[in-house]
Amino acid sequence: MNDTIWTIELKIFRQRADAQRYFQTFQIEINPDEYVLDAIEKVWAFHDRSLTFRHACHHSTCGACGMLVNGIEKLTCITSIRSVTQNNGKLLIEPLRNFPVLSDLVVDTSSMFKALEEIGFNQVASLPSACLPYERKTLEHERSEYQRLVDCIECGMCISACPVSLTDSNYLGPAVLAAAHDASSQPLSNKILEIVDSRDGLWRCHNAFECSAVCPSNVEPGLRIMKMRQTVIAHRIKKLFSRG
Amino acid sequence: MNINKPSPSHLWRWFDPRDKSIGTIAFIINRLSAIGLTIYLFLHLAVLSKLVAGSQAYDDFLILAKSPAIKIGEMFVIAGGIIHGLNGIRITINSLGFLLKIQNGLLVGLMIIALAAIVYFAIRMFSGA
Amino acid sequence: MPTLPEAIIIGAGFTGCALAHDLSLRGFKVSVLDRGEIASGTSGRTHGLLHSGGRYCVNDQEAAIECIEENIILRRIAAQCIEYNGGLFIGLNERDQAYLPHFMAGAEACKIPVEQITPQKALQLEPNLNPALLSAVLVPDGVFDPLRLALAFAATAVENGASFFPHHEVQEMLFNGSGNAIGVVALNRHDGKKYEFRGDIVINATGAWAGKLASLVGIKVPVVPTPGIMVAYNQRLVNRVINRLFEPGDGDILIPQRRMVVIGTTSFEVEDPDYIPLDQDQIKQMYDCACHLVPAVSQTLQRGVYMSARPLIKTEMTGRSLSRTFKCYDHKESENIDGFVTITGGKATTCRAMAEKTADLVCSKLGISAICETKETPLVSYRKFFWH
Repeated sequence: MNDTIWTIELKIFRQRADAQRYFQTFQIEINPDEYVLDAIEKVWAFHDRSLTFRHACHHSTCGACGMLVNGIEKLTCITSIRSVTQNNGKLLIEPLRNFPVLSDLVVDTSSMFKALEEIGFNQVASLPSACLPYERKTLEHERSEYQRLVDCIECGMCISACPVSLTDSNYLGPAVLAAAHDASSQPLSNKILEIVDSRDGLWRCHNAFECSAVCPSNVEPGLRIMKMRQTVIAHRIKKLFSRG
Repeated sequence: MNINKPSPSHLWRWFDPRDKSIGTIAFIINRLSAIGLTIYLFLHLAVLSKLVAGSQAYDDFLILAKSPAIKIGEMFVIAGGIIHGLNGIRITINSLGFLLKIQNGLLVGLMIIALAAIVYFAIRMFSGA
Repeated sequence: MPTLPEAIIIGAGFTGCALAHDLSLRGFKVSVLDRGEIASGTSGRTHGLLHSGGRYCVNDQEAAIECIEENIILRRIAAQCIEYNGGLFIGLNERDQAYLPHFMAGAEACKIPVEQITPQKALQLEPNLNPALLSAVLVPDGVFDPLRLALAFAATAVENGASFFPHHEVQEMLFNGSGNAIGVVALNRHDGKKYEFRGDIVINATGAWAGKLASLVGIKVPVVPTPGIMVAYNQRLVNRVINRLFEPGDGDILIPQRRMVVIGTTSFEVEDPDYIPLDQDQIKQMYDCACHLVPAVSQTLQRGVYMSARPLIKTEMTGRSLSRTFKCYDHKESENIDGFVTITGGKATTCRAMAEKTADLVCSKLGISAICETKETPLVSYRKFFWH
């Protein structure tokens, strides 16, 4: 907490309609305790009003500002400048991978939102079910009357980081599968089963766990996909015996 | 508009370890070892097919197989098999929903075992020569 | 079929989105333009408190009554993005204790359902509260997700035929021969081209930027961008909103949200709210306030800090003494420009009511008799905004 000011260089991905994409460099002075999103907003406010980027809440509840910072998925509103560069250092800012770019840093995440809606994933849940499976035990008896917004902020960063999403546009992706796990904390519905137990669902995941590594919000999609596999395998075995 | 969309043409980026976490390193190793083992399978079949050409051809080949270059190659096969197998065990355990909170540790542990096994086989193979 | 009346709304914050929803229900063909994204200005950066009105029930009863009415409506139509666990006002010293009777009387006058409980009971409900508390009052506060609330209004508007144009910056207004507004020219930042939008009414819903936009056509709107700071910490230490039992002041509200708690806020005036640097002294001030309400904040890590510029309507008073209610300007009355109205002021909790008042004005100006239906219409899933 002081009045330190750093000079940093932002190299920002630019793309306008069908024109050639390029990188543009801006030099700004900023307090390193501010966040990467603040630096981008400063570029927009003082250097180039044509820069497009998505942001809203500035404190990791909305999920709008996921970008690549120096090649890694970061929720820019909670990534302090100090944590990703140094004085006179550089920041490479690119849009998320695996989503079509609308312009500059804005990507089209509609496919993800559509899939999440299909799953029937609610943003508000009871406190125990909004937490991770291994956290639930202590909360279940005393805190079940409370509700809260769930962990997943639908930022799309897990899909951006996933090696399978990189090559296969049909793959549901970690966010959607994690949401399915979340939505199925009650008994597994046939609809969810049909969506996840498919060619493009659970079995496509190749355990790189990159989703869990970049998730800014404690969702642990990797863990949830594996837990969901467990549930589906158990379901299949049960079905096998109930038939016989 | 179409840049940045998922596409099979991005396959090469699977093998780019930059800015990635340990899980992707395992992912890459698993793919490389699988490719290696598949190539070996075909070589192996090719060698076995020499039996069709008669025992003399096969014996000639066996002499060649004792050369250090081939031995190093075989060492790679053993290493690939061990790494790929142990990694597969990790993935199976995880996919059944177990040991997920320690999956990074599990990976490191299994790879240490893999390394130890590889060293053991290397010593046996080259000292026994 | 008669042609639909067309409305152009500038600004896709809470007001713009709620107004688009309201006007679409009343049969308008609505276009919403914003220079950025949905809720990328003040709206997205709001604290996230669904006010019960308790905060204003002593010294701004008009705003308090609006709050409790809208609180109940939003809980009904927008439950998809509201964590509703109620709130607590806690008194921590003699000054607060002296305020308590005023608070209880104010709440009753504004019809806010409150319940005084013992400090022991409060600590049972929220074990992380400052154990030195002297009094506690339960209030019907809630917490919403800012972007998703705006999107829910926008998505419902889209379902009813509205169109949204994010990243379209209005650059000039179009007038007819008699000097009345008939549309705008906007620059699409996605492709760098200019487009014309024409309609029967142009609505300036740019909140803290309303003055700036109006000055484009030489009109003065007395709105003062008044930012405050919010600081988020990385643990959910309470489930209810914790308010200091006193007059509105700095750092007097701590809200839970997802896995966080967020403290706010401060109040100072700026001329241009486009970029407001984070004030490190205010961060420290907020930390102290948060620790005073909930001491366990000292064991958390700071997760994020942001500044949000409230659109306060200028009167002779300044800062917090300004009313948090809203105002709708018909520029026909003040500047003799027809077809142009401005809506500003207000707060997130009352966005639906602001939209209702504005839509009423728009309808009466255009001689349309449609009535407001937004109180009873549940909002569709906010996600539907993304694939209209």
